[in-house]
Amino acid sequence: MPLVAYPDAALTIWQGKDALQFIDGLSTNKMVDMMKGQLVQTVFTSSQAKIIDFVTVFHMGEVLAVQCHQSKLQNLLNHVLPRILGQDVTITDVTERNQFAVEYEVKNEHVGTFISVNNVTYGRTESNLNIVIASKENTLQHSGTIAEFDAWRIENLVPWNNHEITIKNHPLAAGLSKFVHPAKGCYIGQEILARMVSRGRQGKNLVRCKNSEVDDKLITTRGEIYSLGIVRAIQ
Amino acid sequence: MDCGTCETSSPVQLMTPEVVNVNLSISNKAQEMLSDAFGDDRSMALLVGVLSGGCSGYMYDLQIVEETDQSCQEITVDGFKVLVPNASSHLLDGIEIDYVDRLMGGGFKINNPNAESSCGCGESFS
Repeated sequence: MPLVAYPDAALTIWQGKDALQFIDGLSTNKMVDMMKGQLVQTVFTSSQAKIIDFVTVFHMGEVLAVQCHQSKLQNLLNHVLPRILGQDVTITDVTERNQFAVEYEVKNEHVGTFISVNNVTYGRTESNLNIVIASKENTLQHSGTIAEFDAWRIENLVPWNNHEITIKNHPLAAGLSKFVHPAKGCYIGQEILARMVSRGRQGKNLVRCKNSEVDDKLITTRGEIYSLGIVRAIQ
Repeated sequence: MDCGTCETSSPVQLMTPEVVNVNLSISNKAQEMLSDAFGDDRSMALLVGVLSGGCSGYMYDLQIVEETDQSCQEITVDGFKVLVPNASSHLLDGIEIDYVDRLMGGGFKINNPNAESSCGCGESFS
């Protein structure tokens, strides 16, 4: 299975008895039922329902490891820190201690769980995709290129950070619908997303399209013949 | 994965807001309802706090408590002991606690001059 570097990834540790509830109250997916050994992906959204960051939460037992993105980390912290108030939540940035990669074309049976072997953690986020987080002391042998990974993403309609997952898009348009829980209650941006779903009007969709058939500026990940693009949905 | 929890990783610096001496008021209707809730036992306190979450990012939290482990300022308003957590005092200065008497969407309401916006149900604000 190809393993490619994930250079924009960041890792934060969220501690405290209120940490899980805190993330649940500010993001799109239902987190409160998580158990140790599970992972859940969720989106922090702005009041306009635009993506602040798409994160993967690893329930480590005592702490939550939240894989986020370096390019979005400051915005994420600006969003969450003022809202901690008196709650028991402490956030630590441990990005510098770790290295990150993505393993794709895998065959996962236990999606939504992770395993750690010799300080290398494999987060089974999809049936065919792992997020790999390793201590800096380990050596990760990369066996693929970003271009090859992008080609695989186009083929499998997989959105990615800084391509489809940007502050310009809301989670439904960016192909992250399955991480927007339909019945979890309120969070910032929820009213807008709920309205889009209930009215069947999400505006834009992530699609795989032929380069010759779509406007260049709509392409988010360019391939040789096919690309990913976020285009206005046909109502 | 190296969580760094066994060694000394310093936490991200919290932007701790300044603690404000809170002034708040309670409407006549809310006083009536609180009197019913408290009865004659005025040793209890009304905790007026703010939690993260809700459609607008912050949610009001009203509780009748004997005590709390939060760092609070205690004020007396119209004979009621009111506790306001220092951590959320900057969001609560100047509020009015009101009571809306209607079948749907009724109950205690907070009128907050610090809120830029609030959601339809009135429980959440930003």
